[in-house]
Amino acid sequence: MLLFMAIVLPILLAIFIPLAYRSMKSIHTGWFVLLAPVLLFLFYLRFLSPVQQGEAQLARASWVPSLDFYFDIYIDGLSLLFSLLITGIGSLVVLYSIFYLDKTKENLGNFYVYLLMFMSAMLGVVQFDHTLALYFFWELTSISSFLLIAYWYKRDASRFGALKSMMITVSGGLMMLVGFLTLYVLTGTYSIRETIAQVDTIVDQPLFTVAVVLVLLGAFTKSAQFPFYIWLPDAMEAPTPVSAYLHSATMVKAGLYLVARFTPVFAYSEVWVWLVTGIGLLTLFWGSLFAVKQTDLKGILAFSTVSQLGLIMSLLGLGGFAYLVTGDAVETFTFATFAAIFHLFNHATFKGSLFMVAGIVDHETGTRDIRKLGGLMSLMPVTFTIAMIGSLSMAGLPPFNGFLSKEMFLDAVLGLLHADISTMTVAYLVPIVAWVASVFTFIYSIYFLWYTFMGSRKEEQLPKVPHEAPIGMLISPAILGSLVILVFFIPNVVGDWLVKPATAAIQSSSFASAADIEFYIKAWHGWTSPALWMTVGVVVVGFLLYKMLPKWQSIYSKWPERFTLNRGYDTLMDGSLNWNRALSDRFMTGSIRDYLVYMFAGMAILGITTLFTQGGFAISTEGLAPIRLFEIVLTIILVGSVMAILITWSRLTAVIALGGVGYTVALFYVIFKAPDLALTQLVIETISVALFLTAFYHLPKLDKHYKGKEDTSFRLGNFLISIAVGLTVTLIGISAYAQRQMTSISEYYKETVYTEAGGGNIVNVILVDYRGFDTLFEIGVLMIASIGIISMITLRLQKKKKGVTVDEIE
Amino acid sequence: MKLINLVVLPIIVPLFIGTVLLLFRKSLLAQRALGLFGAAATLVVSLFLLAKVAEDGIQVVTLGSWAAPYGISLVSDMLSILLVATASLLTLLVLWYSVYSLGEKRELSFFYPATLFMLTGINGAFTTGDIFNLFVFFEVFLMASYVLIALGGERIQLRESMKYIIVNVVAAALFVITIGYLYSITGTLNMADLAVKLGDIGSMGVISTVAIMFLVVFGIKAGIFPLYFWLPGSYYAPPLPVLALFGALLTKVGIYSITRVYTLIFTTDVAFTHDMLMMLAIATILFGSIGALAYMDVKKIIIYNIVIAVGVILFGVAAFNEVAVTGSVLYLIHDMLVKALLFLMIGVLIFITGKTNLREMGGLIRHYPVLGWTYLVAVFALAGIPPLSGFAGKILILQGGLEGGFVWQSIVVALSTMVVLLSAIRIFIYAFWGAEKSFNSPPKAKYVNRMIPVVILFVITMGYGVFIEFLMPLFQATGTQLMDSSLYIDAVLGGEK
Repeated sequence: MLLFMAIVLPILLAIFIPLAYRSMKSIHTGWFVLLAPVLLFLFYLRFLSPVQQGEAQLARASWVPSLDFYFDIYIDGLSLLFSLLITGIGSLVVLYSIFYLDKTKENLGNFYVYLLMFMSAMLGVVQFDHTLALYFFWELTSISSFLLIAYWYKRDASRFGALKSMMITVSGGLMMLVGFLTLYVLTGTYSIRETIAQVDTIVDQPLFTVAVVLVLLGAFTKSAQFPFYIWLPDAMEAPTPVSAYLHSATMVKAGLYLVARFTPVFAYSEVWVWLVTGIGLLTLFWGSLFAVKQTDLKGILAFSTVSQLGLIMSLLGLGGFAYLVTGDAVETFTFATFAAIFHLFNHATFKGSLFMVAGIVDHETGTRDIRKLGGLMSLMPVTFTIAMIGSLSMAGLPPFNGFLSKEMFLDAVLGLLHADISTMTVAYLVPIVAWVASVFTFIYSIYFLWYTFMGSRKEEQLPKVPHEAPIGMLISPAILGSLVILVFFIPNVVGDWLVKPATAAIQSSSFASAADIEFYIKAWHGWTSPALWMTVGVVVVGFLLYKMLPKWQSIYSKWPERFTLNRGYDTLMDGSLNWNRALSDRFMTGSIRDYLVYMFAGMAILGITTLFTQGGFAISTEGLAPIRLFEIVLTIILVGSVMAILITWSRLTAVIALGGVGYTVALFYVIFKAPDLALTQLVIETISVALFLTAFYHLPKLDKHYKGKEDTSFRLGNFLISIAVGLTVTLIGISAYAQRQMTSISEYYKETVYTEAGGGNIVNVILVDYRGFDTLFEIGVLMIASIGIISMITLRLQKKKKGVTVDEIE
Repeated sequence: MKLINLVVLPIIVPLFIGTVLLLFRKSLLAQRALGLFGAAATLVVSLFLLAKVAEDGIQVVTLGSWAAPYGISLVSDMLSILLVATASLLTLLVLWYSVYSLGEKRELSFFYPATLFMLTGINGAFTTGDIFNLFVFFEVFLMASYVLIALGGERIQLRESMKYIIVNVVAAALFVITIGYLYSITGTLNMADLAVKLGDIGSMGVISTVAIMFLVVFGIKAGIFPLYFWLPGSYYAPPLPVLALFGALLTKVGIYSITRVYTLIFTTDVAFTHDMLMMLAIATILFGSIGALAYMDVKKIIIYNIVIAVGVILFGVAAFNEVAVTGSVLYLIHDMLVKALLFLMIGVLIFITGKTNLREMGGLIRHYPVLGWTYLVAVFALAGIPPLSGFAGKILILQGGLEGGFVWQSIVVALSTMVVLLSAIRIFIYAFWGAEKSFNSPPKAKYVNRMIPVVILFVITMGYGVFIEFLMPLFQATGTQLMDSSLYIDAVLGGEK
């Protein structure tokens, strides 16, 4: 229960934040907020040692036990690593935000409520073993991200950027949910661990691949993989602490977490490993390529994040191969997973610091446009130092942690060549793509650093006079920057305590516990290491290309705007409105005639096709009365009267013809020996014809208004539909009569009407006794109709307009 | 009075009080007080009945003591009484809202009695166990809805009520004809008796045809494809409280009727009839989506969302297993609550801004934070985001769909959530966020008045999501009763068999 309380602690704290914000204006609200992540970080640190020894932490809280919905907490190495990142980086980000966001100008109450909500949500995502609980908190992260991006909600870019991120991540989340439910249908459990335990029984089922693809959609959208990454650059509208926290260090890694978590289930599917590896590499390449195009500091970092997420994703995919191969190759691929987790950690440190640097630059100069910046090194020496550490680590240079994990990445992709994998030709592409992407990574890292801090100053273009940031704002990025260097020198401490336990959780078929993993991280592999030479190549080529950047950066603008993914999204969004509007306007004409045409057509098609395809049609002449002259004459009168109503331009004629229809029906009753029905019918007809005549006498003549204006020409479509409707009703009627199955309950009425009901007229007894309840409410209908008439006569809120005709009814 | 006659009360109480109201035409106070009292009393008796059904199982009254299948049976099973209770609750809250918003002239022009009569018809339709009696109750609530849609006599109201009446008269005629077919084949009208007799007959082409014709009849009311076309225009016309009632209750009677006949009566040719229902449900979702996305008019957006939800609920019914059907009922109640809530909320929105077009709104969150945030949460509930009210139902519907092997259909249902979310969140983004625009906003006190019933309904709706565990026994019982029709049949015909 304590573990569950730890997850919801931030949300509980959030309840008091608006109060604190309002009542204690003099203290920055962030100081209260800081408590939560710091406490939680210390709390989760306690588990480092037990988890490393393979003792996972368990807890359960229930929500809807009837639906098998529990908040099952399961903290193994992977969950713990993420939990520490969430709370650790969270603490630094909150601290940074205290100096970044002004307590007088900003609505801090809202900001911290969203942020705390996110923190709980994210902790839940990485700790729940129950797929529905995971989904629950997954959507909660999307929602808090939505609110944070739109923090400055008056700006269009903010609110539509927020919408974009939500549309993409929530739809991915829904697909993931369907994937989870598919897994549930296959296994009968929502628990991920139990699913892993029975993976053998489900891998061969066709639904398994469906689940694979659906869950991946969730992971790819959340972790901004190609082609879903487009929401991430727009999410940069959020305040910078948010970008540093959600959109680089934690939330976007939820997709990576998901892939890692489900590797023991899904890696048995080739679709899974190739998709994860392939999409990861493509994203890595694509992101690095387009990062160089950006001119906004945060834009560069956003694309760089996309690219780095792709890198980790591809490593996780390579790690998945360990489940498909045997022998020595297993070690190569488990190493990829190890590298993935290590880089995930390193990325959080250097990217976090870089985002904070971008925030500082923005805060102190008033712009993030790289074209206006330059030469800030001497003005902001501390910021520059941190930026340098971060950028060079990102570029993969020593002595920073990025160098170590980048080398491991290159080793891992080369490892693919040695393994015995079916599609070898594709495998050769992998290291090439990885190398090219590394070159571009190098370029944008240097680009970010140099264009901001080196070169000539352009102070006249800056909105503010630049100066070094206050000390408070520098603490957090400085801590992260120190970690970047520290990890380079003591990588195996991180490796043993964080990376190995997480790797053991992912590669559960190869390693029973963290202790079984014997990888050792080192900076120097000797001159023969191919990864080293690849790095050298990256630096040389990257440096040359960087020098020539002004010459080729314009290539990016050659790509036609029409074919970009962003444009695709915009078209889709506008289209959702405009296309649907055009489509809708085409059939939602507002005309009741059109609607009746659709409805009658639908009814006739459904009725007739069912009747004939299901073999329902039958004719039986058994028990029919002979057709005599009477009936023929009456039928002719009946049809004639109906036609007259349709054709005539005189209201009086129409009313009389309507009466004719009624009286003819009454005569049919007479012929078929139902005098009481006939009598009723005659009375009704007489009254209604008289009423109609009285009322219609006051109405304007039809022909004056309509003759000539109304299109009365013959319409084949409508003709066919009306025939079809008539046929439907008639044919089903004939068939129903012909296939009479049971004797009617009316026999009972005949037997009991005199004896038990004590009545003389069976129709009356049915109306007032056997089915008196019907009659009661039929009378009720009349009463309601009468009040309706009164209200229509007495209440007219809108004044009558002259010259309004019945036209509008059409 | 025997306690067993409790079944009649949710029908008779509003009828009686509505009739009494006709005697106090001129008194605004009497109209309001008695109107609210009528709805509250109906709610109280339905809650009693709910407790009774939960404890003792299906309740049956056969009127006039003419034993079933000869007399008319009223049957309160779990599905029926859950819907009756929800309808009564919503009527009460909407009437409360109307007190502040409708305007005295309409209030004095039979608004309260007409609403109570509509409730009579709706509760009757949910309760009756006789298919012809169902037709009668359709007529009752339809007639009351004619009164309500035209109440006020604005031009748009008269124009749309004309269309509404034409469509419903056609539907009513078809209803009687279809009952005629069924009676011709089976010679009975009692639903339990029909279930027994059709079960004995087994699968037959003509019976499947009649089943499809019933789908058409009820589909016109429920608003399924290709029969929903009349709905958006007609619902647009009346004042908002009426729209809220229509949107929350009327289509649901159609859904209920389809659910009833497709779980109780027409279960002999599931491969055909329910597949047809599945296809139409998916088509309904798609066509509803077109409309929901196409407009920037707040009323239209929510109205088209009704259509989408109809498709989702019927998808679960069509999947026809206990999980999916239970999910459908959970989702049905959720949809009634949340649709009423949303309509009332946009009512307040329109009241504040005086507009219905989103493009003319903006920046309201600063001055109306309560409305804004509750609206946003309601949208998430509508989209089935956990832990809110739509979640449990949606999970079960999808799970049942997947269990039934309807994979791509389930994906469509899941994606429809995105359409729902996008269309409804547009209202939030355009009206509450963005640059502030100035409106001739009415006095704050009037806004607060309207918000009281809205917030109460909001709390109830959210409670329906967060505390769903406490209601789950009821819904599980509903699922069991629906999938095991012998429970219903034995309750109605038990003695004789």
